[in-house]
Amino acid sequence: MSGSLLDPDFIARLERLRLLARRRFAGTAGGARRSTRRGASVEFADHRAYAPGDDIRRIDWNAYARLEELVLRLYVAEEDLTVHLLVDRSASMGFGEPSKLEVAKRLAAALSYVSLAGSERVAVVPFGDRADRPLPPTRGKRRVGHVLRFLDGIQATGETDLAQAVDQFLARRPRPGLVVLLADLLDPGGWTRPLDRLLAEKHEPVLFHVLAAEELDPPSGGDFAFVDSERGTRVEVSLDARARRAYLARLGSFLEEVEGYARKRGISYVRVSGDDALEQALMSYLRAG
Amino acid sequence: MTFLAPWNLAWLGLLVPLGILYVLKRRRQERPVGSTLLWEQALRDLRAERPWKRLTPQVSLLLQALVIVAGSLALARPAGVGRAPRGARTVVVLDVSASMGARVDGERRLDRATAVARSIADALPPGGELMIVEASADPVVRSPFERDATALGRTLDAVQVRGARADLESAVALAADRLQGAPAGSRVVVLTDAALDGTLALDAGAVSVEVQRVGGEAANSAIVDADARARTDDPDRADLFARITHHGPSTADLYVTAHLVGQEAAIASRRVRIAPDTVESVLFTVDLPPDAAGRSPVVELSLAAADGSTDALPEDDRAVVPSPGRGKLPVFLVGTAPAAVERVVRADARVEVFRTSLARLAERDPDAPPLEGLFVYTGDVPAEAPAGDSVVIAPAGDRVFELEVGEETAAPQVLTWDEADPRLRFTSFRDVHLATLRPLVGPAARALVTTSGGSAIATIARSDGETTVLGFDPTRSDWPRQPSFVVFFRNLLERARERRAAGGVPPGTLGEPLRVPAPEGATVAVETPGGETLSAVSRGGLAVVPIPAEPGVFRARVEGGAERFALRSLLDAEESDLRPRLEVTRGGERATGALVEAEEHAESWPWVAGLLLVLLLAEVAWASRREAAA
Repeated sequence: MSGSLLDPDFIARLERLRLLARRRFAGTAGGARRSTRRGASVEFADHRAYAPGDDIRRIDWNAYARLEELVLRLYVAEEDLTVHLLVDRSASMGFGEPSKLEVAKRLAAALSYVSLAGSERVAVVPFGDRADRPLPPTRGKRRVGHVLRFLDGIQATGETDLAQAVDQFLARRPRPGLVVLLADLLDPGGWTRPLDRLLAEKHEPVLFHVLAAEELDPPSGGDFAFVDSERGTRVEVSLDARARRAYLARLGSFLEEVEGYARKRGISYVRVSGDDALEQALMSYLRAG
Repeated sequence: MTFLAPWNLAWLGLLVPLGILYVLKRRRQERPVGSTLLWEQALRDLRAERPWKRLTPQVSLLLQALVIVAGSLALARPAGVGRAPRGARTVVVLDVSASMGARVDGERRLDRATAVARSIADALPPGGELMIVEASADPVVRSPFERDATALGRTLDAVQVRGARADLESAVALAADRLQGAPAGSRVVVLTDAALDGTLALDAGAVSVEVQRVGGEAANSAIVDADARARTDDPDRADLFARITHHGPSTADLYVTAHLVGQEAAIASRRVRIAPDTVESVLFTVDLPPDAAGRSPVVELSLAAADGSTDALPEDDRAVVPSPGRGKLPVFLVGTAPAAVERVVRADARVEVFRTSLARLAERDPDAPPLEGLFVYTGDVPAEAPAGDSVVIAPAGDRVFELEVGEETAAPQVLTWDEADPRLRFTSFRDVHLATLRPLVGPAARALVTTSGGSAIATIARSDGETTVLGFDPTRSDWPRQPSFVVFFRNLLERARERRAAGGVPPGTLGEPLRVPAPEGATVAVETPGGETLSAVSRGGLAVVPIPAEPGVFRARVEGGAERFALRSLLDAEESDLRPRLEVTRGGERATGALVEAEEHAESWPWVAGLLLVLLLAEVAWASRREAAA
C-alpha cells in the first residue's frame, strides 16, 4: 500500500529537494539545519563577555589584544528540525476523485521522505474533531517505510474540529518546528485561531490546502440535494447559473481569505487540487527552499 | 355585472392544480459532498442579494393565481351596462331568398349572414335576447327570443335558402311587432344581399332598424323561364322553350342543354352568347314520346359555361319542366252536365270523357287506385271532395264540401272577377248576365267572380287538388254564348292537365317543403334530385317534407300507396340577378347610408386568453417544480 503513495520516479525527484523552514528552531540533536542555539559549527554568530567557567578555547585573543577584554567567540549550532504533519482525516476529506485524503496522504508521504532524507525528524498527527494518536517524531531515512505505513492506515471519518485538534496537538508540548497542515479548511468552527495558536507557540505552519476538483468547479445543471458528509445536513440546490455564480463567488472569497491570511503571517500556502496538481504544487514548495 | 359565457369560469379550477404544484415538493437527486459549508454560504449570499426572496414563492403563487382568476373571468366575458342597454332585445331578419345561396369569393351569402348573426348573438348585452326571423315569401319566426348562444347557433345552422323572394317589409313589420314594449336599445337587424327589386321602408315606429348587406356583386347566368308545349302536328314532338339571362361584366358564352330526367344523353343542345343584362330565348323541337308505362317524361334544361366555369348561383342553371305528354286527361261527368259544358270538354282533343254518376262511383272498390282526372259534378256532390281537381256546377244542396251555398237570388250583376287567377286568364265577365244565383259562402273559399248577389264562382284549394264551384247554371245565362265560357273551361282542363303532369304534388318554390297528400299517419319518403332520402309522417292528410333548395325532380313514395313527384325550379329573373339594388327608405325619403356592409366581429381574444392560461399552467408547472436557487 505504501508503494501507492510514492512511486520511484517521484522519489528520485524528491531526492534533490529539502524542506524549507523560514525560521530557525532549536533541535534535539545535531543536524544539518541552523539552530537557534549557539553551537560548534564553523559559522560565526556573535561575541560575548567571558565568564568564569567558559571554555577558554573559545576566547577571541585577537579581540583581547585590541580591547584588553576577554570575550568569547560564539558559533551557530546546527541541529535537526522536527516536521509535524497534521493530516486532516475528517469525512469531508474522503470526497473527490481521487479523494482529498488520498492527495493529502501522498503529500505527507512526499514531505516525510524529503524530511527523513534530510535528517529531519518527522511526526504525523492525523486529526478530525480531535487529534488522533500520532506517529511520534522519528528520524532516519530507513524509517520512511514506517511513516508510509502509518499514513496508509489513515481513513476519512468523523467531523472536523481543527481548533480542538491543534489544542490537543499543542497540549503534548511538541518541540517547535515545521507544522505542515494538510486540510481542506472546510471547518464550520473556523481555521484561523488554530493557525494563530501554532504561530504563537513558535511553530512555523505550512498550509497545504487540499480541495477536490468538483469543489473548485462545480458542474452546472441539475437539481440536487447536497448532503454534507460530516454533518449530514441537506442543502437543496438547483445548479443554475445564478447558484453556480454565487458558489464560485463564495469559494473565491474563501480562497482569497486563506491566501491573504497566509501571506500576512508569512505562512507558506500551497493549494492542491487533484492528483495531477499534487506533484507540481509540492515541487514548487520544495524548490522554493 | 353578469357573465356572457359563465361556463368559462370553470377555468378557475386551475387554481387547484396550481396550489398542488406549489404544495408538492420537488423530487431531487441526493448527492453526498464533502462539505455543504460553501453552498450554505452561497445560498445565504443569494438571499442577501435579494432581501425579498423569502417572499418570492408566495408572490409568484399569488400572481399566478391572480392571472388564472383574471383570465377565467375574462373568458367568462363579464359585461356591464355598456353601449347596448341591459336587456335590449334584437331581432335578426335573415333574407333566405334564392339569391342568398350565391357564392361570392367561395362563401355563400347565407353562410356569411348566419356568421354575422352569430356574432350578434355572441355580443348580446346582459339580459339581452335575440329572435331570428326568416324572411321568405312569408316571414317565419325561426327562434323566439333566446339568450342561449348555443341554441341560437343551432337555429342558425338549420336556416336554409328558400326559392321564394324575400318579403323583407313583412319580416321587418313582424320583427317590429315582436319588439313592442321591448327595453330601450332594442333593434331589428336585417341581413340581406339586397339583391331584390323595389324598396324597403324602415318605418317600424320607435324600433331601430339596421339593414346590413352581405356578399358583393357576382356574375350569374340563369334560366329564368322554361316550358314544354306539344306540337299540334305530332303529339310525340314538343317545343321546349327557355329564356336565358346573364348578369356580369362581359358577354357570356353558354351551352343550353336539354335531357330527359333519368337519362344522361342530351336530346338537344345549343350554344348561346348573351350580352350582359340581356335575355335570349332558346327553342328546341324534340321528340318526347311516353315511356313503356305510358308515363310522360320530365325534361331538364341546364346551363353550362363554354369554358367550364361555374357561376355564383348554380340553382338557377337547371330547370325541370313536365313534357306535355301524350296521355289524354280523363274527365268524369258526374250527373247531367249542361250540354254547353260537355261540348266544350269534348272539343279538346286531349281529353277522354267518361259519363258516370255518384251511385256508380260509390260502388267502386275502396282499395282500387283513385281515379286521376277532372271530376265535373252537376247538381249533387259527394260528401268528400275527390282527389285531384273537380268542378261543381249549380250545386243542388246547401253545402259543397267546405262551402255553404246560399239562397237563390235573381238576376245578380257581375261586379268583379279575379283577372290574375289562371282559371280566368283571357276571360271577361263584363257582358255576362245570370238569371239566378246561389251565392257561395265560406272561409275556405276564395271568390273568383263576385256579383251583386254574392260570390258566383269560388274555389277551394286543397293539398291534393282544387275544386271550382259555379253557383249558377250556365245554361240559364248568356255566358255559354261568349268566348270567355270556352276559355274558362279550357283553362280548367289545362290546369288539371298541368297538375297531373306535375306529379300530383302542389307546386311550390325552390326549397319550399313538399306537401304530399297521404293517408293519416302514413310515412312519405322523398328522394331528392341529389339522391338524399327525406321522410315525414302525414298529419291531417298531408305530409310536409322539408326539402333542400335544389332544382330537379323530387319523388315521393307514400307508404302503401302510389308514387308522386314534384318539380322544383327557380325560374325567377329577379332572384337570378345577384346585384344589390334594394333601395332603403325612411319616412318616404331615400335613406342614404342606411344600407351598410355587414361586419362579422370574430372574437379571437378568447383563444389568446386560453392560450395564455395554458402557457401560464406550463410556466407554473416548470417554475414550481424548479427549486429557486436562493
